Amino acid sequence: MVLNTQQTRRRVDPGWAWEPYDPGAQRRWSLAQAGHLYRRAGFGATWSELQRALEEGPQRSVDRLVRPPGDLAAFGRRADEDEVAATRGGPSDGVRDWWLRRMIETPFPLLEKLTLFWHGHFAADASRVQEARTVQRHVALLRRHALGSFGTLLDEASRDPALLLTLGAAENRRALPQDGLARALLGSYTVGSGHFGEEDVREAARAFTGIFVRREEFRFVPREHDEGTKRILGKTGPFTPEEAVSIALEHHATPQNLVRALYRFLVSEAEDPAPELLAPLATSFAEDHDTHKLVETMLRSNLFFSDHALRRRIKSPVELALGIARGLEGMVATGPLARELARLGQSLLHPPTGRGWPGGRYWIDRVSLGRRQELAAALMLGEERYGGKLDTEALAAERGFEGSVGDFLSALFLQEREGPSLPRRTRPAVEALVTLPEFQLA
Amino acid sequence: MLRRLALSLGLTALTAAGPLLAQRTPPVEHWIPDEAVLTVELARPQVVFDLLRDEAVLEFITGLPAWEEWTRSKDFGELRNLVRYLETMLEVDWRTGLERLTGGGLTLAAGPQGEVLLIVEARDEELLAHLHEFAVDIARSQAGRAGGVTSERRGPAEVWSFNGKEAHAIVGNRFLVSNRRGALDAALELVEGTGKGSLATTASYREAREAARADAVVRFYADLVALKENPKLASALSGARSNPMAALLFADLTEALRGSSFLSATLAVEGPKLTLCVDVDGQAAGAESAAAFAVPAAGAGPLPNLDVPGRIGAATFHRDLHRFYAAKDELFPERSSSLIFFENMMGIFFTGRDLTDEVFAATRPDVRLLVAEQRYDAEIGTPEVQIPAFAAVIGLRDVAADGEVFEEAWQKALGLFNFTRGQKALPGLIIRSATRGDTDYTVAYFSARGIEDRTKLHERYNFRPTLAMPGDFLVLSSSEGLARDLIDALGRERAGSGAPLAGVGGVLEIDGGRLAAILEENLDSLVRSNMVNEGNTREAAQAEIGVLLTIARLVDSVSLSVGTDGTGTRALLEAQLNPPTRTPGGSR
Repeated sequence: MVLNTQQTRRRVDPGWAWEPYDPGAQRRWSLAQAGHLYRRAGFGATWSELQRALEEGPQRSVDRLVRPPGDLAAFGRRADEDEVAATRGGPSDGVRDWWLRRMIETPFPLLEKLTLFWHGHFAADASRVQEARTVQRHVALLRRHALGSFGTLLDEASRDPALLLTLGAAENRRALPQDGLARALLGSYTVGSGHFGEEDVREAARAFTGIFVRREEFRFVPREHDEGTKRILGKTGPFTPEEAVSIALEHHATPQNLVRALYRFLVSEAEDPAPELLAPLATSFAEDHDTHKLVETMLRSNLFFSDHALRRRIKSPVELALGIARGLEGMVATGPLARELARLGQSLLHPPTGRGWPGGRYWIDRVSLGRRQELAAALMLGEERYGGKLDTEALAAERGFEGSVGDFLSALFLQEREGPSLPRRTRPAVEALVTLPEFQLA
Repeated sequence: MLRRLALSLGLTALTAAGPLLAQRTPPVEHWIPDEAVLTVELARPQVVFDLLRDEAVLEFITGLPAWEEWTRSKDFGELRNLVRYLETMLEVDWRTGLERLTGGGLTLAAGPQGEVLLIVEARDEELLAHLHEFAVDIARSQAGRAGGVTSERRGPAEVWSFNGKEAHAIVGNRFLVSNRRGALDAALELVEGTGKGSLATTASYREAREAARADAVVRFYADLVALKENPKLASALSGARSNPMAALLFADLTEALRGSSFLSATLAVEGPKLTLCVDVDGQAAGAESAAAFAVPAAGAGPLPNLDVPGRIGAATFHRDLHRFYAAKDELFPERSSSLIFFENMMGIFFTGRDLTDEVFAATRPDVRLLVAEQRYDAEIGTPEVQIPAFAAVIGLRDVAADGEVFEEAWQKALGLFNFTRGQKALPGLIIRSATRGDTDYTVAYFSARGIEDRTKLHERYNFRPTLAMPGDFLVLSSSEGLARDLIDALGRERAGSGAPLAGVGGVLEIDGGRLAAILEENLDSLVRSNMVNEGNTREAAQAEIGVLLTIARLVDSVSLSVGTDGTGTRALLEAQLNPPTRTPGGSR
């Protein structure tokens, strides 16, 4: 399953890789590729979405995902209302539950998928924050810029109370600079390890002095800011917090780091991509920091629809569960689901480390595999603990599927042309499906 | 689907054909095998029939959103067609038919292996036979699909099965149906007089029946010896032993259940008043019992509940906290992290004092809890999310000696709270002293200075924690208003008799109207909570919460008391209902 790294580096031509995919006799557009697109650019496809994608082809399907039609603003307003309401008088669990629900209901799954990506990237931890509203504002910030300018996102994130509290950076006094924000900025958010030293962290921490979080609101106190000269990533000057962020943003390693992270999230985590493969994307991203353009390029590319990407990621618990909910076109009880996802290792708003979730094969071990299979089966069988609203048999009938329920599940979730044949009846089919290795792959 | 199911099972529950017994039939429990572990008996179905004929009740039911939703479903349409068809065939309207077919009562019995036996007693034997013949004809016409109709002579009756999954028979005016053929056979053996033993011959059932009210509409009996072998029930009973709060509140009940061989419950209806009486033959009595802290001495009992303006609910208990905590290793041997945290905190607040012998020993066993509507000070403003006020009132043995100990602990707790909030750069509480009548009290509050819009304050403004010690009581309240009301109420109590409630260990009282008002105020939150916890759409969640709200509106007041009388333990639930009225727009 895992490609040999050296082989991959030799084989993939960057010029070909990022050209838009144009199906032909050699590489036909298929249900498997449509399913792949919806799994990566969202949380899985419905039966109707798969059929329409098959008909419309890859580029028009990507159009729908990156610029979905319809009144997105109306949905956003209602979802925001529910999220904000959930912050009143309760812990941040409400924000988490409503976010999961939003991921299922959204007409713009790519936006929520990227919001989830940035959540892992910045890794704010709700347990370090007192007010649920602060957590909700953080998620809203990630969503607002999820497909916008990374520069703007980084700038606002560096002033976000939830993030500063997570980093232990709520008090940055001139006399005692805290290095939490500086270390995260350089180590995780921008340039990445190997491109900065401890001196850069200390100097950047000086630039961040004057930043405070008071009553969970951002404050900048000028008298606490160190106005002296700092040297950060080779640049020298009396840098302010904004300038320190800008220096990290403009560093040549930042686009490489970001493109690599998004490659792992959207394309493949099975191998370490060669620097020259990512170079064209990094160069473009360095010019405008436009996340939307970068994501769109990846999703339209030859590489994305090639064997280098198909089934080259392990589904995160969120992707596993929501893929079923969206595929079966129903709603699940996201409160109980969120708690089960936490048992599977993905407790939303509570990332395990400052670098989010390691992902990949770390999602699966002997214990979690059994739990993943149990969760998937419980959802597909419409068990009451998750609301009992999903009905595989009824959906197959409603969509006019002529084969057995087993065939329907196979076509909906695996889309393999020569995939394994599932039993005809629902329960045996579900039990067989969830134990298939490919079902665990995105 | 529904039609077939009704024909094969539902209809057979009301019909069958068989030879009639000439002699008078004995009480139904003589036909239930003694292995039955629980029974539910609708002893006076006429009460239900009367309700179904009451226009106000019907209007109320048909006005429910859940009813309206059901009437739009395919299942309802099929059921309505079936009922109309039956009305035509049997030449009787459905209400009258139902009364004639089930008017003698219904009894459901369950055995230890999941076998269920239902016995329905008809008033009109002829109609019962007629309906069964009709059901046989339909079942035979569908026999190819339904698995066939079989019949076989068994003792006094013909035993029928329409689909192999049920078996039924008619004996006189009684219809018997079971999910297991063996269970029906055992019942028929009892009818014939060849059975091993009936429920009526067991000592625990006889005792349970003696404890039951004669005018009960519904009677319930459970063989606890058999049921306690169920791991889930055993686990639930032992659960209280791992949770200190559950042990404090329910130890008398769980100890009584552990020592009981049966549970008997009866539901009586007198006009708008429902009375549910639950009896078990065990009790948590005796000085050596771990739950003795919850059992008052003979003739003693908890003080009456306190009455304050806007009271939503109140509970009064006899709880000897000193004795409770002294028995903690027996009551909840597991030292959970929350218990360790509690003890650490108490160690800080009551520095240098032994929690059992110097803190809890200073209290009397009069523990009262209250929940009441909030009244917000206009000068401070109103929080966006409104939370009811709540308080605890505990008797003290010697206020002069111990009052300052509790005051000091209280102020340390507030100080710790403020310190922790301060570490997080969050606003803290301001402490000040005030007086109500001749009682000084300490209140802590969040400042609202600088807030322009006082109509949507943060939820923390629901809390003004207050400590007062009027007379020989300690009042700990979440709001200053409730604390002041309690000072007044305790003053009135001192002036009155305030006699303890003898014979009971605790009484809980709830005001349905105010509870409904709280639910209404938090309707949006409840709907949203339902959506994420049940996976409902907004509309479905509104319908579900609407039903809850309707039920709350229907209840005027509820009281629950638990006590022992030397022979067992009794829980008495009394509910006073409001006349059902159709709310304009349903239940929202």
